[in-house]
Amino acid sequence: MDSRESLRIAVRSIRAHKLRSALTVIGVVIGIASVITFATFGASVQSEIVGDIGDSSAGNIYVFGTPEDEEGFERAFQPVFTESDVDALREIEGVEAVLPRGIVQVGSVRQGNETLARQQVTATTPASIAPDSIVSGRPFTPGEQEVVVNERMAESFSQNLTAGSTLTLVLPDGEEREVTVTGVVNGTRGELPVSGFARQSRLYAPVDPFYESVVESPSAGVRQRAYPQVTVVADPRQIPETKAAIEAFLAESDARQLSGADTELVARSGSDFVDSVSDVIDQITRFVTGIGVISLVVGAIGIANVMLVSVTERTREIGIMKAVGARNRDVMGVFLIEAGLLGTLGSVLGVPLGLIVGFGATRYAEVGFALALDWMALAVVVGILVGIVAGLYPAWRAARVDPIDALRHE
Amino acid sequence: MSETAGTPTPDPDATVVVDDVTKQYAVGTTVTALDGVSLSLPRGSYTAIMGPSGSGKSTLLNLVGGLDTPSAGRVTVDGHDVSTADEAERAAIRGTEIGFVFQTFNLMPRLTAVENVALPLVFDGWSRADRRQRARELLESVGLGDRLDHVPSELSGGQRQRVAIARALAPDPALILADEPTGNVDTETGATILDIFEDLHAAGNTILLVTHERHVAEHADRIVHVQDGHIRRIEELGEDTDG
Repeated sequence: MDSRESLRIAVRSIRAHKLRSALTVIGVVIGIASVITFATFGASVQSEIVGDIGDSSAGNIYVFGTPEDEEGFERAFQPVFTESDVDALREIEGVEAVLPRGIVQVGSVRQGNETLARQQVTATTPASIAPDSIVSGRPFTPGEQEVVVNERMAESFSQNLTAGSTLTLVLPDGEEREVTVTGVVNGTRGELPVSGFARQSRLYAPVDPFYESVVESPSAGVRQRAYPQVTVVADPRQIPETKAAIEAFLAESDARQLSGADTELVARSGSDFVDSVSDVIDQITRFVTGIGVISLVVGAIGIANVMLVSVTERTREIGIMKAVGARNRDVMGVFLIEAGLLGTLGSVLGVPLGLIVGFGATRYAEVGFALALDWMALAVVVGILVGIVAGLYPAWRAARVDPIDALRHE
Repeated sequence: MSETAGTPTPDPDATVVVDDVTKQYAVGTTVTALDGVSLSLPRGSYTAIMGPSGSGKSTLLNLVGGLDTPSAGRVTVDGHDVSTADEAERAAIRGTEIGFVFQTFNLMPRLTAVENVALPLVFDGWSRADRRQRARELLESVGLGDRLDHVPSELSGGQRQRVAIARALAPDPALILADEPTGNVDTETGATILDIFEDLHAAGNTILLVTHERHVAEHADRIVHVQDGHIRRIEELGEDTDG
């Protein structure tokens, strides 16, 4: 049978039961739209985060210690990487710079009579202040009472901080230090990729004279500064080799001796972070999209239900079609096309709705909008398939209708 | 009038040959609806089947119409063996060789008159333009040229039955099967319908009409009386005024 004719009969039938068809389609629309919404939102978050990490972390290898047991998050950042370790890392082939990063807790930061409580100062080297991240001013000078602030920090005071502003840092022990702001930056090299998302206000200061965590270096035998984390800037073309060399060095480093046996010293490249973050978002997206799939299944049941009712109502029509020459498969085709049409309608309406809601969600979450094209294509195909699969049993029932009984059917 | 219990060698040129056909239904116990019935409908003949309800006349109609298969015996329509044909083959025979006219019209409620008439041609693979052309011509020939795009609910009973007749004629079938075609229309409309059948007969069509009304049956060349699953007698009306 001409499938256009089946389509025409299907369209007439759908139009003859507008409300019923509309309600059935809504079931599929909700299913498709929720799949699209979750998939789009997931893809948007992922591309946002991956973009962030990717931009900031190309060429970076992050070196830190991570305990194997679950509870030790504080211990994860024990200061174990000594100056000797930093020097040794600098000697590894492919390493362009080594940026030690220490944390100095500050009780509060004061400008005039405004006070910000509980700030962290990242103690590092001027090499961390990349020229292209400087918004204004210049990096701090080692040995000086100077700091660089990020833009968020600069905007934290009613009078925005600029190069030349002075701040008072109140250390936890009550000691106060007058410091000069030398520059405003929009990020630093060597930041752990995850720290970028917090977008917290930050101060950066030279290791000397701010960072005072010291340990005795087992290799040098003298007391040295020690850092919880070190970022190695490597030649981007030699990341895997450099990473391997760093890992080899870590086994014999001061950090190894200073860390507990349960602590694993690791070197992670930016792409390692991208991969693991992508994996996590992928899993969450898949899980949440799976919930959307459940509503799609409910939509399919709706189609099956309505088609079964339709077959019963149209028993006589089936008999007529058979009497004038329709084969079983022609009858089946009519009902399958009708069911497929309901599924297709659901998809066609569900995809834009899902995109709109997904777009709204990305606005709300303040992430860039990214299309999940594969999911969209899949949703449309699934919508049509859902209609057809849901229509299979009703259509089979229709095809099996005995024309003699059907023609007698009132 | 002649007593018949089965012609041993049915006319092989007849449009319909029913040869020693038995039809049994298993509904709890076995019910024999037809018991060794033989009948042939010569080409161009106009035959009426009469009998009380439960006599087997509907079963006979269903078998000749290819809607059902016999338990034993053979039914051929225009050379096609309906008794051994599978479902798809019987559908094709119904679609091309047989034109059904029912008591309750049995039109597709959401299709227009033209689409209803064209429906058998859909299953026979005609192009849309050809189907519509043929349907229009047929509707005009039954006097419904001005109702082409009306759906059945917009037509009177007589008009609906004329649409049904036009549909039956659409594939230019070997046999027109009419099941109480005047049963659901008033007397006057019924007369019009029967006139159409006589015109069709005059034009050379083979017609089998099932009725329980004697005055309707009398329009045919002969009346086959069916009772209790047997053909009781065949009444030849000969060269009547209408024949």
